[in-house]
This record gives sequence, structure tokens and C-alpha cells, in this order.
Amino acid sequence: MKRVPAVLRGLAFPVALIAIAQIAAMAVRLQSDTLASPAAVLVAGAGAFADGSILVATAQTLANAFGGLALGGIAGLIGGILLGSSIVADRLMEFSVEALRPIPSVALIPVAMLTFGFGFRMEVAIVSFAAFWPVLILTRSAVGGVDAGLLDVARVLRLGPFARTVKIILPAALPRIFVAFRLAAGIALTVAVTVEVSANPLGLGYNMMLAEQSLHPDLMLAYLLWIGIMGWALNLTINGAQRRFFGRSAQARTAP
Amino acid sequence: MEAEPLIAFDRVSVTLGGLPVLTDIDLRIDAGDFVCVVGPSGCGKTTMLRLLGGLLEPTAGEVRYAGKRITEPRADIAVMFQDYGRALLPWRTVAGNVSLALEALDVPKGERPARIAAALATVGLSAKAEKYPNQLSGGMQQRLQIARCLAQEPKVLLMDEPFGALDAMTRQTLQDEVLSIVSASGATVFFVTHDLEEAVYLGNRVIGLLPHPGRVASDVAVALPRPRNQLTTREDPEFARLRRQLFDFIKDAEA
Amino acid sequence: MRISWRLGSFAVGAVFIAVWQLLANAHLISPVYLPGPDRTWGALVRGFASGVFPDQVWNTVQRMFVGWLLASLAGIAIGACIGLSRPARAYLGPTLEFLRPLPASAVVPLGIVLFGLSDNMVLSVIAFGALWPTLLATVHGFAAVEPCLYEVSRALGMSRLAVIWKIALPSSLPDILSGMRLSLTVSLILAVVGEMLASRPGLGSGILIAARTFHAPDLYAGVVLLGALGYITAQGLFAVEARLLRWRVHHR
Repeated sequence: MKRVPAVLRGLAFPVALIAIAQIAAMAVRLQSDTLASPAAVLVAGAGAFADGSILVATAQTLANAFGGLALGGIAGLIGGILLGSSIVADRLMEFSVEALRPIPSVALIPVAMLTFGFGFRMEVAIVSFAAFWPVLILTRSAVGGVDAGLLDVARVLRLGPFARTVKIILPAALPRIFVAFRLAAGIALTVAVTVEVSANPLGLGYNMMLAEQSLHPDLMLAYLLWIGIMGWALNLTINGAQRRFFGRSAQARTAP
Repeated sequence: MEAEPLIAFDRVSVTLGGLPVLTDIDLRIDAGDFVCVVGPSGCGKTTMLRLLGGLLEPTAGEVRYAGKRITEPRADIAVMFQDYGRALLPWRTVAGNVSLALEALDVPKGERPARIAAALATVGLSAKAEKYPNQLSGGMQQRLQIARCLAQEPKVLLMDEPFGALDAMTRQTLQDEVLSIVSASGATVFFVTHDLEEAVYLGNRVIGLLPHPGRVASDVAVALPRPRNQLTTREDPEFARLRRQLFDFIKDAEA
Repeated sequence: MRISWRLGSFAVGAVFIAVWQLLANAHLISPVYLPGPDRTWGALVRGFASGVFPDQVWNTVQRMFVGWLLASLAGIAIGACIGLSRPARAYLGPTLEFLRPLPASAVVPLGIVLFGLSDNMVLSVIAFGALWPTLLATVHGFAAVEPCLYEVSRALGMSRLAVIWKIALPSSLPDILSGMRLSLTVSLILAVVGEMLASRPGLGSGILIAARTFHAPDLYAGVVLLGALGYITAQGLFAVEARLLRWRVHHR
């Protein structure tokens, strides 16, 4: 029995699905406000690339996502180091963290709207809130989980708290901190798109809603596909970076 | 006309992934035998165990139990796996794990508690019936596996290096427990091990396999008196002689 | 010992609330944008007394749970089929991996296209979005069953159904529950987004309207309620998980 190569096996299903959709659309001579054939989607997507609209939108979404990731990530990193290094601080902050954490970031959309109006600041604020928590929680456990032996080395060498953090704790915790940022990056992209779909008039989410409202299902689906590709490509890039910098040993499977 | 043996390997060969693992194995095992199988890595001893367990079919030849070919696992042949951590269900209690064997055999619900209690009592785990496997030590987990096998009331016990991962003291305790359980039940045992002393201590027969190709190269009777004793048996000159014989056999094999 | 730490952390929380109150009183930020805890609390009490909040909470909770339950059942069923079949995993795996990072909210426009701005749209979007974490986790759980346990089941002569019910399913339960937890988070988010966009009555639309009409205390009160909802549902699921997974060894 011939063994089908893995790549072909993986592509078989989506290709078949697309082919069936295309054939069905052509058979029915699809002319609709709600659906579009795969070919039409590709054409609309190519058009959006040609006039640059999709690129502008992508830049906006990514700017918001990375801005929020940076802001929330750094705050989460500092907070996580503090809570991970000091049991006292961790215990005292437990209530506040557990009270604020469950607030869904989308619930803050109206708050940010009220405070900042529409635009970049509002979206970055919400993405920061969303990205802050995973980085905080995971950095806290990464720092708290640093091998006790290494901490003994720091004590024996009489390193001050800053030197101990920079020279021993951070390098030891780095692989897991990287995983935290990896998770937060995915969340940042997701939240950015969500804010754009819900309220903010810029970026990929908004353009997708615009296409739907103006009865261009082909363009809408093109945006949807592009968002999927962006998410997948981001994931792939970060995974590749993780493999390169930390090797297979540090590759933790993110909890499903 | 010699009596039909309980277990017979009849010109058995096994090829896995294109590589010959066992070649032309001929072996007879009688009821009540305690057969220990030793040999260097890759000699196929675990493969022989899996053939008996019905987990594998030979590429050539036949493996027979009570005259009939073994084609699938049998209820009266119990298998004990080497890695107890992976062979026990972590989400069931000790009693629940033993119960699994009874459920698989369609034993009526009413009969199960008594049989579970009996099996646990035999291995000394009665007090731990409601504990979970991860709350038990390695030795106790392995006893739990034994209990699960005993619940099947097997005629044959297949044991794949069961004590390899345990410390020396626990190993010796369990060796004696297995001997007493087996002598009480009269089961036939097929015991795979790396440990030559263990093989001589436990068995009434030691089979030595050699690899490339996997074949029976030595079949030694162990005439030491039973019941065995960790101190006196190991000091017996016959024990030393047999151990030396096997040691030389392995050394020549690895040369 | 534990109790004094608990009290300490409540005290720290109270300090933060006091700071919030001081900031609000000092009018450093306009009270239009930042109501103090006193006005937020007032809005909460008013909202409950007038029956507005109970209605909104009920609507949101209902959507959230119905969507989540549908999604979980479908996710477990489909995930089990895929997870147990190596060919299915090989053919569908890459597609699933592509869909994994897709933001759930990205299907909202598609939902609108198919169902209009209706309750059905919100429910379908919730169910669709909440499907994936559970499905993916279930596939992983069923694919990762300890192979030795399959050997044990063969040696014991267990039927295929018995193997799935007694070995594969309990073994996958930790992954499935973890996926369901994530699905619950997603369903809360999509319930809020759906309500905002479709203007369906609920907490989501409630806070949006409050923001648009500059009723900041009502807005903040609604946000507090959503946080509480998220907390209670997460804790509830944790408790269920702890009960079902008592046998697990917990590492910090």
C-alpha cells in the first residue's frame, strides 16, 4: 500500500472542501448577498491586496495587538517577577488578582470607549488588559518555580536582589516566560480582532464587518481567511522562534 | 507417548518490521512449571511473552496452549506488564483496578466484591482498597498488578521483568510473595528477567535466549529445594553453580 | 495561618478600593468617566432592585450556558471520533491546527450574514466559538491515552465499547475538562460581543448602552457583574473538575 506523504494528507481535506464549495457555487450559479464561491473570495482578496486596503488594515490590527502585548506584557512581567519572588506579596495580592482577572476584556470595551473614544488608544488599552493576565500568572509561576538550588547559589555568592533577578532568576525562568508571551500574543491578536469587530472602526475586524454590511460576502470571507492565516502564521513564527532559542526541551505544550 | 505439554512453541518465528526477532523456537512448558527466561537485550524474550499473551501472532509456526493455537488473549492467561505506572488506571481506586479484570470477564456484579477482596488479601493490599495508584509506592503498585492478574484466576501467569524498577529490598519481598502465591494456586509461570540470580532463585527451569537470530540456546533445570529462602537458597552451592553457568552463558553471548 | 493571609489580601483589596474612591473624589479624572466605588455600588443596588440587572444577567447566563453545553457535547463527540482514529487525525489534524489560533469573534460577521441580528445569531456564534477549545482538547486527550493501557485492555479481552468507555474517556477527562473551561471563557466573551452587536438584551448590550448614554456608574456596575459572572462560572467548573479528578496528583 502506497504511503501518502503527511503534507498531502493534511491538505486533502481542505482542498476537497474548497473544491466541493466551488463546484456547488458554480452549479447553482451563485449570486447572493450572503455567500460567495471560493473563486470569488480569492478575487476579492486579490483586489484588497492590490489597492492596499487589506495591508493597511493588517498593519493597524498588528500595531494594536503588538502595542497591547508590549504594554500588558511588560507590566505582567514585572508583576509576575514581584509576585513570584515574594511569597508575602503573592499572598497579599491574591484577592485583588482573583477579583480582577475574571473580568472579560470585552466588558471593558465600553469603558475604554467612554475614556478614549475610538481609535488606537482604546484598542491598545483593552489588549493590554487581556495580555497582562496570562503573562502575570505564568511569569509568577515560572519565577516561583526556579530551582531552589540556583537560589542557594545566589545566596552563597551574596547577590543583591536586583543582581539575583537579572543574573539568575530571569535566565532560569526565561523558557517559561517565553511560553507566557507566546500565549499572550495569541490572545492579543484575538482580542484586537474582537474589539474591531465589536466597536473600533479600524483594522481587519472592522473591515470585515464593513464588507458584511455593504453586502460583499466575498470580501468578508477573504478577510476571514486572511485573519486565519495571520493567526496561524503568528503561531508558526513564535513556535519557530521558541524552537530556535530554547530547543525542543523547553517546548511546553500550551494547555488546550 | 509423552503427555501434551500445557504450552508449546512449535517452530515459531517472528519477524517484525522486516527484522527477524525470533527464529525457529521450539519449547515445551508443563503445567506447574516456573520458567524464567533470560538473555541479553534484543534476544526476543519479551516477544515470546507477548506471543503467549495473544498480543502478537507468529510469522511462522504455532504457539499452542492446551493443544489449541493461541490467536488472541485468553482469560486464563494473565499478563503482568513491566511498567506498572502505565499499566494501572490512575483514575480508579485499588479495588477499582482489580475490578477491571472482573468486568472484562463478565463476572456477575454480585460476585465481584468477594473476589476483589480475596485478591487484595492475597497481596496484602486490603487496607489500601480505596486508595488511588499514585498514592502507593512502586512495590505496592506492582502488587496491585499482581492482584488484578489473580482476580482472573489464571492458569498461567506471564510476567515481563516485573521487579526491574524496584529497589533490592522490595524486589526480594515480592519474589517471595510471588513464590507463595504461585505455590498456593498451582499456576504455571513464564517470567522474563534480566536478573540471573532472580531467575535461578524463582524458577524450576531457566531458558537462555541469544539474539541475532533470537533462539533458545540454553535450557537448564533448577533442582534447588522448595520452598526457596532468600538466605539459605542463595548460599546453596548448587545456586552458585547455576548462577556461574548462566553468567558464562551471557558473557559468551555478549562477546 | 491561612486565614490571616486571606484577611491580609482582602485588606490589600480594600486599600485599592479606597484609592479608587479617593481618585474619584478628587476629580482627577472626570466623574463622567470614572465613578467612585460608592456610585458604582449605588448603581448595582438600583439595578437589582429595579429588576434590570437580574433580567440582563439571566439573559446573558442563559445564552452563555446553552451555547457552551451544545458546543461541549458536540466537541466531545466529534473530538472523540477524531482522536480515536489515526487516519482521521492525520487528515484532519492540520486543518484543526490552522483553525486553532483563529479568533472566535472573526466568525461574527459570517453569523450575521447567515442569521441576521438575532438571538439565533448570538447563540450560533457562541456555540461555534466555544466548540473549538473543547474539540481540540478532546482530540488531544483521546490521542494521548497511555498505549500500555490499550495493551492491558487487549490482554483482558475488553470490547471496543468497553475500551472507549472505561479507558479512553476517563483518561481524556482532564484534557476535556480543561478544554471545557476554556470554552466557557469563550462563550462568555462571545455572549457579550453578540449582545453588543445584535442589541439583544443582556449585560453586554446593557453596558454598551450605559457607555453611549454616559451613565458611567451603570457601566461600571455592569462590568463588575460580568467579572463576578466570569469568576463564579470558573470557580464552579473548577469545583466540578476537582471532584471528577480527585485521583490526580497536584503539582504547584
